[in-house]
Amino acid sequence: MALAPALSVVVPIFNEVESLPILVETVREALEGQGEWELLLVDDGSTDGTRSLLMRLAENDRRVRPLYLARNYGQTTAMQAGFDHAQGAVVVSMDGDLQNDPADIPRLVEKLDEGYDLVTGYRLNRKDRLLTRKIPSWFANRIIRFLTGVPIRDNGCSLKAYRRELVRRFHLYSDMHRFIPAIAVATAGARVAEIPVRHHARQHGESKYGLSRTWKVLSDLLVIKSIRSFRERPLLLFGLLSVVALSLSGTFAVRSLITVFVYGRTIFIFPSVTIILFGLTVYLIMLGLLAEAALFHGRRGIRTLSPLVATRSGDAHPLRREA
Amino acid sequence: MPDPGARRLSVVVPVAERPSPLDGIYKEFSRPLREAGFAAEFIFITTPANASLLSTLDKLIDQGEPIETGIANASVGETGLLSAGVAMAAHDLLLTLPAYPRIEADELPRVVLPVVQGAHMCVARRWPRKDSWLNRVQNQVFHAMVSSLGGRRVRDVACGVRAMRRDVFEALPLYGDFHRFLPLVALRDGYQVVEVDTAQHAEDRQPRIYSPGVYLRRVLDILGLFFLIRFTEKPLRFFGLVGATTTLAGGLIMLSLLIDRIQGQAIADRPLMLLGTLLVVLGVQSIALGLIGEIIVHVNAPRQKGYRLLNPAELDQLRESGEEGATNPETPTEPGTTASERSEAEAPPHPLTVRGSPR
Repeated sequence: MALAPALSVVVPIFNEVESLPILVETVREALEGQGEWELLLVDDGSTDGTRSLLMRLAENDRRVRPLYLARNYGQTTAMQAGFDHAQGAVVVSMDGDLQNDPADIPRLVEKLDEGYDLVTGYRLNRKDRLLTRKIPSWFANRIIRFLTGVPIRDNGCSLKAYRRELVRRFHLYSDMHRFIPAIAVATAGARVAEIPVRHHARQHGESKYGLSRTWKVLSDLLVIKSIRSFRERPLLLFGLLSVVALSLSGTFAVRSLITVFVYGRTIFIFPSVTIILFGLTVYLIMLGLLAEAALFHGRRGIRTLSPLVATRSGDAHPLRREA
Repeated sequence: MPDPGARRLSVVVPVAERPSPLDGIYKEFSRPLREAGFAAEFIFITTPANASLLSTLDKLIDQGEPIETGIANASVGETGLLSAGVAMAAHDLLLTLPAYPRIEADELPRVVLPVVQGAHMCVARRWPRKDSWLNRVQNQVFHAMVSSLGGRRVRDVACGVRAMRRDVFEALPLYGDFHRFLPLVALRDGYQVVEVDTAQHAEDRQPRIYSPGVYLRRVLDILGLFFLIRFTEKPLRFFGLVGATTTLAGGLIMLSLLIDRIQGQAIADRPLMLLGTLLVVLGVQSIALGLIGEIIVHVNAPRQKGYRLLNPAELDQLRESGEEGATNPETPTEPGTTASERSEAEAPPHPLTVRGSPR
């Protein structure tokens, strides 16, 4: 068994038979003289011959490590599979469609070395369609920044470098790869930096994104916002909501009493609304208790949830650090 | 004739609803397998309530036929019976067979062969259908619901005749009544599932009417399947959509009441206000439930492995064939194909494909 490499590059691949050889070649060029590295190519159930090509590429260079997912799971899961198998002290993720430039990797790693846990690229001069890609993405980034409080300019850029300790601390599922910086800050207290990276227009294949994902992004955002704010005390989240319900209920109760005793009228609607809202109050508190129970039992036996801690030795150059 | 030693097969027969005489089942279905060169052991497994049915097999067992019987704990359903049967099975090649005839016995080897040749699972599809219009309508409604909700293309989920490899069965999470959806669960985990058209058994053509409880259970099963396949990792997308819709509806009602109030109308005795409040409350409850779901998913994410990698055997298969088609069939099978397409009785197995999670 060879020594673990210092740097792991993780690339989810889905039907990239044309881009793949160029990708491997550019990564090889970019990491020339950067020490030991491995390139984890995670095939996400490709159907266009990518798999056979990956096998040939891996036979020619032992640093190319393919992983084959049993079906098409989506980019987030593919990325997580790569993270699970990465051995390097530094892990870099990027897209497989050649829109990121591997030549930026050493700069990301250098920045990481300054004492960050996560360095994410932002795309200068983005080469994408204005109407369907750039404008929605501008709005999305604004909303994400506002809701998560993590000031990242470009959440859609996959080119990122992580310390291994950070990668071990988050677990991506669903479509969460869009919010990695927010998740890293929320769940592990990561120190995040952002540097400009190059961006190329798509040369081969089809873009695998569409515009019809607003609802997904919105609901994911709500999740991240809630988890970020309340992951240690969900009862507080539900408690706050129940306070809102209780005060509304109280307002209607007072209004009912006024109607009955001041105006002397018999009414049914306001008291009913009072009772419904009071029911909601109780329900929300009970849900909060349920969340606490889920958290209490769920945390058992998971060590990787502890936050990252900055240490002196953490400042050492990640590429030279012992694996 | 091929070497029988190389084709050892365990046939698991869960005896639950409306079984036919078991000795008849054994005699009818063991013969074609034997003739095709399979050494098949039959495992009949049932619950204490149906234990007396096993006695019809006593004579056959005394004659030395390869039959095992088991009585499982009272509380298990058909899925539990299947698991218990598989645990008793001696061989790695499995065939599940309902205790009532679904397909003609002569078709059995065709269901088993694709698995012998490397597929993970092969499901029998009764086609062409020859049963009463009542059964057909029920069946079509059921499958329309399954395919629209589950998003998968299995065309005969109700037919329990399925051949599979033991490791595949054991890797699948199964409980409750989900044995029905075994092929869908297998597809979800990236296993290669094929479907063969088989002749429907004469007894399967009788019209069937079930009790209302059965229909209710089926609908609930489909609902559960729909949620589990689409939203297990993202409950808020489902609960949140329901919640946002009802909250929005309630909010609009309240807004219209507010406008009336500003215009000077009394709203204190308008029942519409009750409806508005109820809708908003229902919406908040749904969203809150979705958040609970997300917290549970988030907390459990570290111990879940949300994917399956191809195992070395599958990689070898891929390497040998050099074609993507070996492990990832490309030809999609259409759910609503016409009868003319499958007039040929010896139709090749259809590979089933699976849609990935949306990107």
